[in-house]
Amino acid sequence: MSASQAVFSGWMEIPDSAVDDNARQYAEEETLAALVSQYAATLYRVAFSVLRNPADAEDAVQEAFMRVLRHRETLDEVRDQRVWLIRIVWNIVLDRKRRSKTRPETDDVSELARVLPSAGLSAEQIASAAQHHAHVLGCVEKLPAKEREVLMLSAFEELNSVEIASVLQISESSVRSRLFRARNLMAGLLDHTRSLR
Amino acid sequence: MNTPDRKSFSNQTDSASDLSAAEATLRLIASLPAPEGLEDRIQAGLLAAPRKARILAWPAALTPSSGWVRAAAAATIVFVVAGGGWGVYSRVQQPPTAKVIVLPPHGAAQGGFSSAGAMRTPQTLNGPVLAHPAAAQPAGSKVSGKLPAPAAPKPLRHGQPAAANKTRVPLVR
Repeated sequence: MSASQAVFSGWMEIPDSAVDDNARQYAEEETLAALVSQYAATLYRVAFSVLRNPADAEDAVQEAFMRVLRHRETLDEVRDQRVWLIRIVWNIVLDRKRRSKTRPETDDVSELARVLPSAGLSAEQIASAAQHHAHVLGCVEKLPAKEREVLMLSAFEELNSVEIASVLQISESSVRSRLFRARNLMAGLLDHTRSLR
Repeated sequence: MNTPDRKSFSNQTDSASDLSAAEATLRLIASLPAPEGLEDRIQAGLLAAPRKARILAWPAALTPSSGWVRAAAAATIVFVVAGGGWGVYSRVQQPPTAKVIVLPPHGAAQGGFSSAGAMRTPQTLNGPVLAHPAAAQPAGSKVSGKLPAPAAPKPLRHGQPAAANKTRVPLVR
């Protein structure tokens, strides 16, 4: 085979690099699908705890996985994928929350009553519970941002203090001190509103 | 009857119960189940998302890793750079170089007077002048009874002072 024939035979061949690319892309898609099925619910809960709107929370989860898709080459370098994903969605929801400051807060009592579990409760009890939850969430909103974030993340039983520190990129001792301050402030706010009633 | 201690204790217990209720609310919200079909919708969204932009695949023989393509690319670059340089060089007209160096007139440049070609000669020293030339005359010349004719005047030369052309008058004491 002459040199020119060898050169032009390359037009008909499937190069090894293309095969590798396809295999790698398939593996990345499989990894991404596994991440979605494993962590989508967790990410949704994180997003909903901040946004308190099911549609917004779902959009935030979708955006988080889109970011993962864009940077899927770096998936192998991630040590703890769960914390990494929570941090992504946490940043997304905080950004959305910041941008939606001009809009009215979505802590509508009826929205909470619709979302919260209501099995075995009467309509009056459901309305009362929703009102209570809305009041608590209103007090949480009055907390300073740092304390509020730690308090909300501490409500997730899936996250310990080390993982919260990793999500917020602070030290574990800062997490504990902020949580202590948040609880004190929260108790003061709840006591104040109770004395007003 | 409520004593102050009992009142503060009851306040503390109320605060603690409020706080635990608040945390229970947060935990309740944090443990809400995801809506049905969330994963499927996200998967569908990911599949519909545009993939990374692809560049047209080169044939294997033309991949940048093949050596002759690199050599050809390097030769092309060298050719283009050299050809461009030659094109610029050949189009630039160089100004004609002067073959004769003309110096401006020296005097005019200074703006002063010219010497009109005069050459300076150093002033000669006046020679010794005889006080009594008649005494030096030989005796035979007395016969004629005339004084010797004065020497013909020398032609004037430039740079010679006018006093030098005059007839020397002997000093008479």
